[in-house]
Amino acid sequence: MSWVQARLLAKGLSRGWGGICRTGLSEAPVAQVSLRAPRGLHCSAVTHKDDTWLIPQPSEPQKPNKVPVVHEELFGSSANGERDKKSFTHAVRSFGEHNVRKRGHVDFIYLALRKMPEFGVERDLSVYNLLLDVFPKEVFRPRNFIQRIFVHYPRQQECGLAVLDQMERHGVMPDRETEFLLIQIFGRHSYPMLKFLRMKLWLTRFKNINPYPVPRDLPQDPLDLAKLSLRHMEPDLSAKVTVYQMSLPSDSTGIDPIQPHIVGIQSPDQQAALARHNPSKPVFVEGPFPLWLRNKCVYYHILRADLPSPEEEKVEEIPEEWNLYYPMQLDLEYSRSGWDNYEFDVDKVTEGPVFAMCMAGAHDQATLVKWIQGLQETNPTLAQVPVIFRLARSTGELLTISRQEEQSPPHSPPKGQEEDEAFQAQQQQGQS
Amino acid sequence: MASIHKLLAGTYIHRNFLKPRAALHPFMGILSIDFSSSHLQEPVASADRVSQQKSEEVLQEDQHKDVAGDITSPDKASELSFDKAIREEAVEHLRRLKNEIVAHWIGPEGRPLQEVQVVWQFREKEDLEKWMVTSDKTIGGRSEIFLKMAKNNQSALLFGTLSSEAPQDGDSSQSGYCAMLSRVRRGSFERRLSYDWSRFNTLYLRVRGDGRPWMVNIKQGTDFIQRKSQMYSYFMFTRGGPYWQEVRIPFSKFFFSNQGKIRDVQGSLILDKISSIGFTLADKVDGPFFLEIDFIGVFTDPAHTEEFAYENSPAISPGLFK
Repeated sequence: MSWVQARLLAKGLSRGWGGICRTGLSEAPVAQVSLRAPRGLHCSAVTHKDDTWLIPQPSEPQKPNKVPVVHEELFGSSANGERDKKSFTHAVRSFGEHNVRKRGHVDFIYLALRKMPEFGVERDLSVYNLLLDVFPKEVFRPRNFIQRIFVHYPRQQECGLAVLDQMERHGVMPDRETEFLLIQIFGRHSYPMLKFLRMKLWLTRFKNINPYPVPRDLPQDPLDLAKLSLRHMEPDLSAKVTVYQMSLPSDSTGIDPIQPHIVGIQSPDQQAALARHNPSKPVFVEGPFPLWLRNKCVYYHILRADLPSPEEEKVEEIPEEWNLYYPMQLDLEYSRSGWDNYEFDVDKVTEGPVFAMCMAGAHDQATLVKWIQGLQETNPTLAQVPVIFRLARSTGELLTISRQEEQSPPHSPPKGQEEDEAFQAQQQQGQS
Repeated sequence: MASIHKLLAGTYIHRNFLKPRAALHPFMGILSIDFSSSHLQEPVASADRVSQQKSEEVLQEDQHKDVAGDITSPDKASELSFDKAIREEAVEHLRRLKNEIVAHWIGPEGRPLQEVQVVWQFREKEDLEKWMVTSDKTIGGRSEIFLKMAKNNQSALLFGTLSSEAPQDGDSSQSGYCAMLSRVRRGSFERRLSYDWSRFNTLYLRVRGDGRPWMVNIKQGTDFIQRKSQMYSYFMFTRGGPYWQEVRIPFSKFFFSNQGKIRDVQGSLILDKISSIGFTLADKVDGPFFLEIDFIGVFTDPAHTEEFAYENSPAISPGLFK
């Protein structure tokens, strides 16, 4: 390049640099003179604005667009828009049809795993086996010792692990077909096969450790669900479940049934205790308390009384001559010495006795009054006992049995008295 | 000109000098709880907060004062009490040491030898101080957990909400756990003490839950090697309902896990150095939960003769069977 051109270039560059340095140092608004960046040899044709060309512009606020996933349309389309096992298997099979080499199978399997809960097939073993079938066979097995040292095809092994992870999370036990597929795809000494062995070991070990098992498929009918949960809570096997009110089948007029269902449970011991209960002391209807069955929360109410004061605890004394053949009461002194004492030296939490439990469709007082009226048929002494209702303001509030005491003051003394007087009046009217 | 510059520089140094003090005061608050309670006559629980506030006020006053470095007066007052605080701490630790030595004559851990032992009970507010609660909020999740005394101060109530929404940190795909852990017992001179349960073989819990499955974790207290992530666990299934439930878990049923995963090589729980116990809820179901605990004890079940419930499998860990 000739010396003329070089001098021109140098002048232009120095002018440009000087301008930049000046704008950098001085903070006063310089630029009525718009300082255009020198159009040097290597600048682009675009002119930037003077003070913003060094600072990148923030882009417009991004709308949360859904990133389109490959193969998603396979799961969207189906004959009648229904999402069930048939459409899911159809989608999985159609992946392989147009795609002989199974390109992108890892992403497809991840997508299918995400879509499983929507289609309701997450606990179906055959669907998982079908999904494992998507992997091309025999390709990912290590063939020589170098491949065996390193993790051969790590992304595919991770994907296989993800499939088995989801099976474990939903409690699905793999079977021989799964084992054969895994050996065929990954080989016997791969991570998915190791995970399969671990699942076989631990899932079988922990299958039956729940002392209070709840069936996997909970009944859909609320009445059956109520019966199941009441039986689940009550340890006494001789307790009787009574349905006090059935809900009317939902007509075309409304979704909510007019009559909520009421199901109650009471054991013979509780019945006897209620019969012995002192009529001058009130009984309380408390609730609703939550109970979780797998992933479903139901609410129940209880009928209980306060702790009887020590003076009132009278044990029925059987007279000694009642039975001459054998003694009805033995008072042998089996004193326990230090090596045989299995009592913890703490006073256990004592609470008043529970007389009955119920589950109802609605948690308001009117429904529970019907429950009490139904209980009176089997417990006639309940008619003379005042009943106080201690209910939570809304079912959304988490109430526990011991926290009731804090919330009862606003409820029971002012309201409860009126309620129970009114209730007693009702009972007397009902009786007479 | 020079004096003004010196003044400015002086203020700058002064402020810098005082800032680390502000950072030190929180620690001072914790170490010298006795000091602040005697000095300010405030309850112990809010002592460190009050001392921090007081120190901040003192700092602000100093900054407004003359810049000649007039910071001697608050220092002098705190120095006297600092000595006293150290002395009181030393006396307290020596008293604890004496108690520990004397307790050996009564029995292990100062209690007479028994077949059953109540380890943790919930009858006073101070019993709650022995526990701490965590949830996945620490990793960015949304679960909450709280611990308080239930009615009549007769049991502890653990309640909260579980949320399995994974935190948006690009790394975790699953979340949702809540836990209650017992604090490590401290003896004299802040040594870590562990429990010796070698005479017992079953864990006993009196709880009342809402039907959710919990996991009981026991951590061993062998300080020789860092073992923060290793623990022995088993499941505790609550029944739900208004009745109290007695849960008996033999120690032979606890399986070994490290970093939250069950390991292939299983060994039995060694009972002579137990440092803490914990309860975890992570059943992947979103919603509120509660668990009431009456007391936790250990006892010997003479009918239980199993030593360890799990055996190692040659298929998974072939190295053990060569």
